[in-house]
Amino acid sequence: MPLWWPLLVASLLFAIGVYGVLVRRNAVLVLMGVELMLNAVNINFVAFDAQLRDVLHGGQTFALFIIVIAAAEIGLALAIVLLVFRTHGHIEVDDLRELADRDVGDLDKLDHPGERLDHPGRVS
Amino acid sequence: MNEVVLAVLAVPFATALVTVLIGHHSTGAAKGISVGGSAIGLVLAWALALAHLGAAEPFSRVFASTDGIAPPIELAAYVDPLCAAMLLLATTVAFLVQVYSLGYLEHDPRYPSYTALVSLFTGAMVTVVTADDLWMLLVGWELMGACSYFLIAHHWELADARAGAVKAFLITRTADLGLLFAIFVLGQRFGSYRISTIMAAIVDGALPRDELWLPALLVAVAVMGKSAQVPFHTWLPDAMPGPTPISALIHAATMVAAGVFLVARMYPLFLSAPSALTLLAGVAAVTMFLAALYALVSSDLKRVLAWSTVSQLAYMFGALAAGAWSAAVLHLMAHGAFKALLFLAAGSVVHAVGGSTSMDAMGGLRDKVPDTFVTMTIGFAALAGVVPLVGFFTKDAVIHAAYEEAAHGRLVWPWVAWLLLASMVLTAVLTVAYSMRAWLLVFFGDAPRGAVEVHDAPAVMRVPLVLLAIPTALGGLVLIVPGILGPDRDENLFHASTSVLMTVLVVASGTVVVWLWSRRGREMWGRVSVPHPPIDVVYERALVRPVHGLAALVRAGDRDVIDAYADGAAASTRGVGWLFRRAQNGSVQGYLMVVVVGAAAIAVAAGVLA
Repeated sequence: MPLWWPLLVASLLFAIGVYGVLVRRNAVLVLMGVELMLNAVNINFVAFDAQLRDVLHGGQTFALFIIVIAAAEIGLALAIVLLVFRTHGHIEVDDLRELADRDVGDLDKLDHPGERLDHPGRVS
Repeated sequence: MNEVVLAVLAVPFATALVTVLIGHHSTGAAKGISVGGSAIGLVLAWALALAHLGAAEPFSRVFASTDGIAPPIELAAYVDPLCAAMLLLATTVAFLVQVYSLGYLEHDPRYPSYTALVSLFTGAMVTVVTADDLWMLLVGWELMGACSYFLIAHHWELADARAGAVKAFLITRTADLGLLFAIFVLGQRFGSYRISTIMAAIVDGALPRDELWLPALLVAVAVMGKSAQVPFHTWLPDAMPGPTPISALIHAATMVAAGVFLVARMYPLFLSAPSALTLLAGVAAVTMFLAALYALVSSDLKRVLAWSTVSQLAYMFGALAAGAWSAAVLHLMAHGAFKALLFLAAGSVVHAVGGSTSMDAMGGLRDKVPDTFVTMTIGFAALAGVVPLVGFFTKDAVIHAAYEEAAHGRLVWPWVAWLLLASMVLTAVLTVAYSMRAWLLVFFGDAPRGAVEVHDAPAVMRVPLVLLAIPTALGGLVLIVPGILGPDRDENLFHASTSVLMTVLVVASGTVVVWLWSRRGREMWGRVSVPHPPIDVVYERALVRPVHGLAALVRAGDRDVIDAYADGAAASTRGVGWLFRRAQNGSVQGYLMVVVVGAAAIAVAAGVLA
């Protein structure tokens, strides 16, 4: 099997993942984009491992590590998404803009008064 | 003797320090410390002074000296009969003022700081009179200016007091520049800052006269400012909003007396510089007459006394200019006694009528405050020069000296000497008139309508009056002791012809005043306002407004030029910040887009360039 087949699949997967992360508004779908990117990298690792006939199989080992880390990451991320849903009532990434720079006067327009305390421009 | 001199110098300063440290916790402690401290200073000063009155050999000692600069600046003391007499005057009046203040400022919340400043003031005067080093003298001299500023502004909630304090400080401070530059010139020409060394060198004729007129004139300017002579005379009457005991201290023993003292101390310098003596004579002639005129028409008791101080100080300068050193110094002593008495008695009167210093609020007080009446009568009589009180002897000695100078003089220009003599005689008449007017207005006639209930002063305020009345009444006896101011100062100061003439004048003018009083009552002469020489206007135009203009210019320069750079830097930073803040819009996906596009761009660029 020529090397470019898996590389093409990996590239397509990675591109779809980037697209999902950049464009999707739903936080769960953004996370799915992240997963796609990670697995594209896994394909690359395995493909090169096979191609180069690595004695120690470093590529496969690394892929396993990435799978474990991705599982941990997705657990953490889903917990965050759950918390965001509880506090905001939605998980639209576009609307989560509390960290934007804004003038002090704009603080009063925040949806959630508790968050203004963290703003550095405000002396409370 | 060393220890006594150092103690006399140190005790007032130590008293002031301890009063400041402890007094604010307990007013009682402040009272005890200040009166006790000034009593110790009084005893020490008397012990030192009595040993040196009339002594031929002055005590002269250098306690410390700076290394490495030439000429050296020294902590040096010099106690001669002049210094001894000044010590007696300063510490005695200061002690009596401290005692008097116990009653006068009994309920004053600022008593601790007040009494500490009085101690400091005394210490400054003691420093001035004992200093043998010009810089040490300057320190005491300036310290007195600062203390008078604080004490005049004791009631700083009153605009008058603040303005008077600032005026006193600025005017004396400006004139003090003369002393500073005189010190530079003397130190440079004589190679020493020791007054005794410089004076001995002048007596030996170390320098030609052409070298001496400049420092003499500079010192003359300084003492004219300190002693409130024309054209610096305006600060002293405006200093009257201060507490009355302070007026007694400033007018009798410390501040203004220091001017006369300095001329007496540096007398060889002035004898070698006739131009400075002539300046002093002319200034004294004008000052004594003008000040007496103001005293004649002022309706404020304390201002009458203030103007009379200016007038009497001019007598002393006139005597010094006429070569009568002993007469001037003795008149300074006599004036110190009776002016302290008059001011303290005036304080008692002011206390009795409830705080007003206007003579319109007084009248018929003679049987309501009997002690004050008797002592103040003695004081006024001494001021007017009535036989046999102390003012009679010293004033006659001064006038006789002026006559001698005018007739056979060699020190000042003849016409200035004649002008001085004429002014002295005229002023003596005016002095009788304003003294009697104030005396009659305060103690005789009817009490004004709507007057508050009169209450006599406490004993602690009356005792100092009696104690001061003694030297005022009997001080003339000092003239019998020859050479009390030094063995070579034993000239005869009593001249029968002058005395008879002056007594006739005093009696005549007194009769005229009494006749006017019986005819017209309280309005003895119309309240003509004597035109003020426009000194204050000149100061306003020549000094105050240019300084204000300069200040406005500097302010504009600071705000419109210097601040403009700082503000411009801040504004441009803000502008750039505003621009870059646009990027931080809170959209995480937007940020990621920038990262991805940037990484792609770098990758492409790396591929192309590689």
